[in-house]
Amino acid sequence: MIRNLNIFLLFASVALLAGVYALKFSIEGTASERTALIAQIDDQEGQLSLLKADWAVLNQPGHIDPIVQRHQVELAIGPVQQQQFGSFAGLPMRPVAPDTAGMDALFAAIADGIDPIDAILQMEGIE
Amino acid sequence: MAVATEDFAPTIALEGARKQRGNLTQARIRWMILAVVLGFGLVGGRLVQLGMVETDQTIEGQARDLITATRPPILDRNGLEMAVDIRVPSLYAEPRRIIDVEEAVSALRSVLPDLDETWLRNRLSGDQGFVWVRRELTPAIQDAVMRLGIPGVDFITESKRFYPAMNEAAHVLGSTNVDNQGIAGIERHMDSESVALLQDLGLARGNALTPVELSVDMRVQHVMHEQLVDAMTRYQAIAAAGVMMDIHTGEVIALASVPDFNPNEPATALVKDSFNRITAGIFEPGSIFKTVTIAGALDSGSVAITDQFDARYGIRFGRYTIDDFHGKHRILTLPEVYKYSSNIGTIRIMQTLGKDNFRAFLGRMKFDERVDFELPEMRVPTVPKELSEVGAATASFGHGLSVSPLHMVTAYAAFANGGNYIAPTLYKRDIAEAEALYERVISPETSDSMRYLMRLNALEGSGSQMNKAAQGYRAGGKTGTAEKVVDGRYSSSKVTNFFASAFPLDNPRYAMVIMVDEPKAENPQSGTTAGWNAGAISGRVIQRVAPMLGVAPDFSEAIDQQIVPPVLR
Repeated sequence: MIRNLNIFLLFASVALLAGVYALKFSIEGTASERTALIAQIDDQEGQLSLLKADWAVLNQPGHIDPIVQRHQVELAIGPVQQQQFGSFAGLPMRPVAPDTAGMDALFAAIADGIDPIDAILQMEGIE
Repeated sequence: MAVATEDFAPTIALEGARKQRGNLTQARIRWMILAVVLGFGLVGGRLVQLGMVETDQTIEGQARDLITATRPPILDRNGLEMAVDIRVPSLYAEPRRIIDVEEAVSALRSVLPDLDETWLRNRLSGDQGFVWVRRELTPAIQDAVMRLGIPGVDFITESKRFYPAMNEAAHVLGSTNVDNQGIAGIERHMDSESVALLQDLGLARGNALTPVELSVDMRVQHVMHEQLVDAMTRYQAIAAAGVMMDIHTGEVIALASVPDFNPNEPATALVKDSFNRITAGIFEPGSIFKTVTIAGALDSGSVAITDQFDARYGIRFGRYTIDDFHGKHRILTLPEVYKYSSNIGTIRIMQTLGKDNFRAFLGRMKFDERVDFELPEMRVPTVPKELSEVGAATASFGHGLSVSPLHMVTAYAAFANGGNYIAPTLYKRDIAEAEALYERVISPETSDSMRYLMRLNALEGSGSQMNKAAQGYRAGGKTGTAEKVVDGRYSSSKVTNFFASAFPLDNPRYAMVIMVDEPKAENPQSGTTAGWNAGAISGRVIQRVAPMLGVAPDFSEAIDQQIVPPVLR
């Protein structure tokens, strides 16, 4: 009886030993994985901080303004002038009745294959 | 052999063979136990010894945490970054681990050729555990050094402060030193508040710090800075500065002073003349101070806006006669005194108020103490404790006393906002918080009159240059041309020019002071008085920033009519 118990205990201890070693090695593996991840996160945070700084530079009015000024002539843009502001009070009132005759003429023209928009586009040189 | 054993064997054995063997075993067991105890004792002792060892965590006397510590990002009022932390590699060496110093020196110098050879050799030899070689390098250099594979040389990632706006908000932000501690501006103020404590505790790491939100609007700041830089060439001035403030909350929307410095290179901050003229410069304010005198007189009730003052002759004080620059030499009404910037009229107004009352009003407007403000670069104004007759007369038009432009903008804010003094701030503050801090300095009725006077001066007086650019934005203000003292006398060629303004005056929201130091005429047709330079700059700034601040232009004359006090309509 005692002998059987001893044999069982012997096998059990060998099995536990193997288990503990396996656990130890797996934990070491996990730890090194963690260290690698920390290093990677650190590295990426560093890169992220540089990208954020880049983004902040690109967003500065002081960075955008010279670009705007370089393209002022080509794009025909400039600082907003007082005269360019409007208000709701400045809008004309809606016509009393829709211009039925004008709409009919327009639809008739489109039906005939003449699109007035084409003329505008050609004038602007878009097509 | 047998004989010999027999000779030495004890003749009488007291103990049997079995007992003898037992004794021997017991002795062996004791020795064994002793050996085991000693062995364990040794191991235990070593453990205790290892536990006592303190690993050196400091880097040249500083905690490692302190070096990798970060500072909170600084944002403007719209959330745009004004200061961020970037992670940069710094090169260090452990001299006690370096095997061949000569090899290390030549290898390092192949990547960093500007390192001094003897300095580097001294640095790397010795028995120290840690020495910096070069701090704040680029990732490319880090790669190159790593590829050299020198033992005992490694990198540590440090936090470095970066200011994406470069020079633009230099005086607001200040800068930090290589150890990430604030040395000027709001950075220094933040340290005195809380950041230094967090860094000491080692908590200021990673990106977890809450951003600090300033009251500055970078768009307005950019326009202001651009206009001031432009003024330096346009008027060949030696310096220019400007500040804009929200009159209801006291938030500073923009604050710039040129010449300035690049906070990314803190050494440039030491260049002469790059100090913050708004807070750390005190100047004789000149005629912009007349607004203060008139506000005090109107508020006391001793002077009414309909009163008239004799400005026919200069006022004599002993040998000196004070006269007007744009002399009308007739009897002027109070709005005319302001419009024509009459020194004589202002002195008469001050005399009606009484010089002691005038001095008391200056105290109420906090002209004799530092403005309560976050920036550490501040100077105490010089305002005489007691005013003599002459002293009070010159002080009434802004000579014989020196205050900072920040004092002036705060005073103008109080005059325009209904009469409440509110200390300026660089942090965000909402109207409810500000109202708790209000101190009434003049009555709302006086404030209405002051708004009318400022607008009048823009429409008909010395502010017309400003109004030409800022057409439609209902801006108004006062010019001030203060003659500089050169060799003990006032010089008419060297002047400091101011323009203090507020807009839109029908529902005022912002006050601004622009200063130009020693300007020249832009062209032969223009002059050197404040309207031509400081006034024109104010107008251009208002024209650019008013739409950004949500102020729409309105050309209707009814608006200007509305702010005229009922007694003058």
